[in-house]
Amino acid sequence: MTLTGAGSVSFARETPVPQWGLDAAKTPTPAYAQNAATVVLYDETVETVDADGRSVETEHEAVRVLAPQGRDDAVCAAGYSSDEKIKALRGWTITADSKQFEAKATDVMEVGDTSVPVMLSTYKTRIVRPPAVDVGATVICESEVLLAPYQQEADWDVQRDVPVVFQAMEVDLPAGRAHAVSWHRMEPVKGVEVAPNHWRWEVKDEQRLDLRDVPSRPSWQALAARMNVEWGDAAVDGTDARWKALGKRYTALEAGRPDPTPEITAKTQTLLAGATDFYTKVQRITEYLQENVRYFVVMRGIGGWQAHPAGEIFRNRYGDCKDKTTLLISMLRVAGIESTYVLVDDRRGVVDPQAPSFYGDHMITAIAVPAGVTDAHLQAVVTAKNGKRYLIFDPTNEETPVGNLPAYLQGGYGILAAGDDSQILALPVLSPAANGAERTGTFVLMADGTLTGKVDVTRTGPEGADLRETLKDSDQKERRENLERSLATDLPGVVLKQFDYAQPQALDKPVTLDYSFTADQYAHQAGNLLLVRPRVVGSDALAFDDRVRTVPINLQATGRWRDSFDIALPPGYVVDETPDPVDLDVGFASYHAKTTVKGNVLHYERVLDVRQVQIPATKAADFRKLESTILTDERGTVVLKQP
Amino acid sequence: MNRMVGYVLAAFVFLGPCAALAQFREPKKAELQMTSDPMAPGADAVYLYREEKTDDMLHFHSIYARIKVLTEKGKQLATVRIPYERRSFQVRDIEGRTIHPDGTVIKMTTKPSDLMAFKSGTTQVNTMVFTLPSVEVGSILEYQLDIQYDDNMVSSPTWDVQQPYFVHEAHYLFVPSRTPGTISNSRGQALTRLMYGQRGGNGAKVQEDIRGRYSYDVTNVPALPDDDWMPPLNSLRWKVDFYYTAYTSGQEFWKDEGKYWAKKTEEFANPSKELRKAVSGMVAPGDSEDQKARKIYAAVEALENTDFTRAKSEEELKQAKLKEAKNAEDVWTRKSGTSDQLALLYVALARAAGLTAYPMEVVDRNRALFDASYLSIDQLDDYIAIVVVDGKEVFLDPGQKMCPYGLLHWKHALAGGLRVTAKGTELALSAADTYKQDMLERVANLYRQPNGQLSGIVRYVMSGQEALRWRQALLLNNPDEVKKQFNEWIHGDLPDGVQGDFDHFLATADYDENLVATVKVTGSIGSATGKRVFLPSEFFESRGKLPFVAEAKRTVPVDVHYARMVEDSVTYTLPAGFQEEGALPPVSLSWPDHAVMRVVSKSSGAQVSVTRLLMYNYALLNSQDYGNLHDFYQKVAKADSQQLVLDRSNSAAGN
Repeated sequence: MTLTGAGSVSFARETPVPQWGLDAAKTPTPAYAQNAATVVLYDETVETVDADGRSVETEHEAVRVLAPQGRDDAVCAAGYSSDEKIKALRGWTITADSKQFEAKATDVMEVGDTSVPVMLSTYKTRIVRPPAVDVGATVICESEVLLAPYQQEADWDVQRDVPVVFQAMEVDLPAGRAHAVSWHRMEPVKGVEVAPNHWRWEVKDEQRLDLRDVPSRPSWQALAARMNVEWGDAAVDGTDARWKALGKRYTALEAGRPDPTPEITAKTQTLLAGATDFYTKVQRITEYLQENVRYFVVMRGIGGWQAHPAGEIFRNRYGDCKDKTTLLISMLRVAGIESTYVLVDDRRGVVDPQAPSFYGDHMITAIAVPAGVTDAHLQAVVTAKNGKRYLIFDPTNEETPVGNLPAYLQGGYGILAAGDDSQILALPVLSPAANGAERTGTFVLMADGTLTGKVDVTRTGPEGADLRETLKDSDQKERRENLERSLATDLPGVVLKQFDYAQPQALDKPVTLDYSFTADQYAHQAGNLLLVRPRVVGSDALAFDDRVRTVPINLQATGRWRDSFDIALPPGYVVDETPDPVDLDVGFASYHAKTTVKGNVLHYERVLDVRQVQIPATKAADFRKLESTILTDERGTVVLKQP
Repeated sequence: MNRMVGYVLAAFVFLGPCAALAQFREPKKAELQMTSDPMAPGADAVYLYREEKTDDMLHFHSIYARIKVLTEKGKQLATVRIPYERRSFQVRDIEGRTIHPDGTVIKMTTKPSDLMAFKSGTTQVNTMVFTLPSVEVGSILEYQLDIQYDDNMVSSPTWDVQQPYFVHEAHYLFVPSRTPGTISNSRGQALTRLMYGQRGGNGAKVQEDIRGRYSYDVTNVPALPDDDWMPPLNSLRWKVDFYYTAYTSGQEFWKDEGKYWAKKTEEFANPSKELRKAVSGMVAPGDSEDQKARKIYAAVEALENTDFTRAKSEEELKQAKLKEAKNAEDVWTRKSGTSDQLALLYVALARAAGLTAYPMEVVDRNRALFDASYLSIDQLDDYIAIVVVDGKEVFLDPGQKMCPYGLLHWKHALAGGLRVTAKGTELALSAADTYKQDMLERVANLYRQPNGQLSGIVRYVMSGQEALRWRQALLLNNPDEVKKQFNEWIHGDLPDGVQGDFDHFLATADYDENLVATVKVTGSIGSATGKRVFLPSEFFESRGKLPFVAEAKRTVPVDVHYARMVEDSVTYTLPAGFQEEGALPPVSLSWPDHAVMRVVSKSSGAQVSVTRLLMYNYALLNSQDYGNLHDFYQKVAKADSQQLVLDRSNSAAGN
């Protein structure tokens, strides 16, 4: 029930429930809504576009409360930026026993967008909370918002987290203005021209998308059905043509923003001193930017779309993803390297190559790799349709080195905004070698079950970057507590003796952690047996369950995870039994583990290779097999016996 | 006449203020070169200096801060947010600058943003936001600002001396209004005096000079604590509160305000003629005091509690020709009221039945601890009732729907506040729940197949707080939502690889009975070798999620909310040919007067049973007790990590 789009609302005179609301309230609650908190009985959105392309968005919505927890959701709300205006927002309640109430001025509140610590936003939401909202009541909302002049498309969230009985979308265009629609995760619905150049789409009985108890799931937004309608200059025929038009529009919007100032030029030239090859130049600039430009969002009106000028970003040393990309493009330009904007979403699967729109939440950079340049560091390279190679880089991620790519972007799509070369671009999935961790440990087990030892952990690629990010966001006390908590799940009663994180300045070098500990009663006596778990620390298993799987499985990241542990056994004990070795390859991943004995040393090693970031639901059986195999292996026990 | 509104500001302005803007200071060489702080090891940033001044003569607060950034995370302090009430206050004259370690100064040139945070009716709260430029690790951040308020207001300050980061030096100054005789509170009392309350600190005292100005200079203020299982922060934070007041001492304040509070409360809880008539239909003349107290309790619990449904709007009341409830009789007549109204109704009905009953208003312990040095009655949150049965006081929580007779919701137990007694009004502490009142029994009957698959039923038998929690959840949510919440709650109880699926509750409506939840469990459990199978001995604690195990040291108190007893009874039924190899050694742990743990197992035919009992009889502990707590939980964790060893050499193959 949230609209985008600002103004005054008058509650001076009583207005009866509109007829459409009375009609909607008669809709019976469908069986498929049985367990939902609310059900949307009716929702109709109309975009009325004027000759300049500016739209007034009108929404009529009726929502029935089905459960006590649904009462708080049954509100009428409209959000608006400083370039938008709420022309009307009204709300009524029709109770289960058909009494009618209208929201008064005392039922209205506004909230600002001030809760995000790293953001300065002028966005506001007006909320009308109609009275008498009990289970069984229907809330009727009407809103009218004048959208920003640069808003030339609308998203219709067909699927929600509550069921919708009937919903419709309309776009009412001036004569001669074109429109284009796209559909994500649903069959396209044929539009009906209900008046000259006034189009309407209807969907009935849309069930809710509930992923709450689905383990290892993709993002909700990636799976929810939606439609996008465009009435601006990207309202062109053909998917590729529309992506191109969207890219061209964004290119035009940011034109001039990256223009280097003398200060930017001077700084860049200083950074490039002595650099001769492409990678070194790019690396020096990106690392400077990653280290020196703080993430802070300034969102006023069009600031949600358009970056600040590079000179301003450079002086303030802060900015959001668009700003960071803009400053990067500017500095690369000084270096003679071409680069451009790529509009993405950090939730894989949200940007859909078959559904052109600006739907997304993030901006990254595509850096053109000159012909003939090869370098082992340049892993995240894609080739565009025109044959150009681009190095994909996320300047907002302050820890992932240029050449690599954060796992959340791998396997997704983005709009390459490169003027006439604009297009949808598949983002790469890197090989397992580009990411992962290696744990090595040497331990001594005492006859009373006490285990002492030392562990070295090396994390590379995005996993190393994630650790750097975590370390950046924590102080020494929090680091110790986090490590102690993590170890305590494997080693109850552990006493952490020492720990040290090492983060080399160069981002392409791995992050290491070494620590030592003592864990009393790690091994347990059972009669004359002593039971030892050879996998001392660390878990590589993802969450899974036995339920029927209907949605894709998110493996999170490709990578290679290795463990190698040596446990010196106590005198007087011999190994009676070890767990069976494990060798499993399910295509998208493999897992190998074995426990061996050499002299008085128990050796455990395992390696997990993950080759894909996401797999379809049809692979659920293999996924369960993999994860349960890992889990069982992690619980494996070695039996020691006194001869 | 001026009105006192100081608490309005205290609620929204988190940083302090200046009678004339402080001048930016030139950084010392040592400050510029500093890369870490031995006074705050590992800190992300430290305040080199903080200054807050309030001038109630000139009507403004001022804030001045100098911050040294020591890590990347410390850069977050470059963004400053000043929430304020917009109708009466203005934030202005903001200046800021960043000083790099090499001494380079970058002035803030971007205009601060005045953002609306919340608006309803005539109330509007804004947040002034600005962020300093060109911040890097090693930078000194420096800013100052004024908060001006209306000439017809005074705004006595609250100095939050302790901050999220270590403070090397701080200076606070308060210039009170010279015309306190013209200040009055909402009761019309003339606030002719000034008082202050100081909590915490390292010895520094508030000083009053000959001009009647108050100052407080403090050095080396540790950062605010941030630990799990910590009591509410208000009980720990160093602070100084100033009050314009009609009283000469805190004792006098609570005595007089207590009388006023009691008068209002007693007016509401008046056992009117109508209530006497009503109660005669609830209790029989021959009923004992206990029977009367329980019957009245049941009658009040049966009424609609609008904190669990919904308060009616003005328009609804108008349509129903009702007015806002003015007393207990009104609540009884409409069979509906808020939690507080129902608690006072209970007191009124008990009195109408001839019982001795008293109202008490406590601080919600989930939000704060009662602070007698904080001279504000507004800190009290909720009413409870006290009834005398056979000469003994029984604390009751009739405002908590589904709360059994004799139990307080934990947020109202051991909670400080005001109560009425036979002799008048006094500050008091409510009763504490005992571990016998809050019991959780987890009974698992599990079947393990030769292939490692597990199926079975788990029953959660709950009394006290857990039962209350889930019964209230059922009032506030539909069954499907409660099922999901229950599954999420037990997820942490079950071993890796085992899923629980809530099936049903028993005895949801009868709050005096145990609440029983039945859960179906499936999955795989344990590991195997050629000859043996290993199962976790503590089915419900195999994930090692116990608190107080990892951290060896702690400087802040522990708050576990309430005492409790957890008893687990797990029975594994094994495939043919499996038998226990070496019995699980029994465990008996004790922390005298505080906690006990016992584990016993037995094997019989195809079944192995493990019973585990963990009791602790405390809710709040001092940090001095942490060593014993940690030691006890370490032993518990180790005991929980034992495994059952099953010999399967005589069984069919499988894993």
